[in-house]
Amino acid sequence: MRRPTKSCPFCESRVRWVDYKDDRTLGRFITDQGKILPSRLSGVCARHQRQLATAIKRARFLALIPYIRGHQA
Amino acid sequence: MPRTYEAVYIFDSTLEDAAINDKINRFNGLLHAKAQPETAHWGRRQLAYSIGAKDNGYYVVSKFETEPATLPEYERALRLDDGVIRYLITLHEHEVGAPPQSEEDLAAATRRDDDDDDED
Repeated sequence: MRRPTKSCPFCESRVRWVDYKDDRTLGRFITDQGKILPSRLSGVCARHQRQLATAIKRARFLALIPYIRGHQA
Repeated sequence: MPRTYEAVYIFDSTLEDAAINDKINRFNGLLHAKAQPETAHWGRRQLAYSIGAKDNGYYVVSKFETEPATLPEYERALRLDDGVIRYLITLHEHEVGAPPQSEEDLAAATRRDDDDDDED
């Protein structure tokens, strides 16, 4: 059985490099808990998924997106 | 060889704007950059999680070109400054001069994706 092909949202919008400062875009690629969404669910291509993972980790460090969502210290 | 960097500073949001500008000028002075660094002020915004006892920060993004040898001194100044909650310095070379993806590139990428799917 052939799975329906998902196209990479970054390739579609002609994004060359994923920006770690764009927290609204990154927010689409994390789960409700704040985990990085796997590419098999989001359809992101391998090249952009690698960039995305780095970008999300940088954005977390800068407190733009949370490490864990809904966590009370 | 000079390289292009991008730095994001998170300042204590209780600092006055003038004090923040003074600090940025001092940091820029340490870089000995030929061109004036481009700075973008995002202003005060809420942190996604509290850092120490702080829930808000003043974000500033700065792009500059400098010799890698000047960075340790600059980073030391950032680390020692109590007004800086957090900072991140990243290389900013790939965005510079990178052409947008052409039609052919996109078509090739799509074809490759199709090939991958055939394998499983």
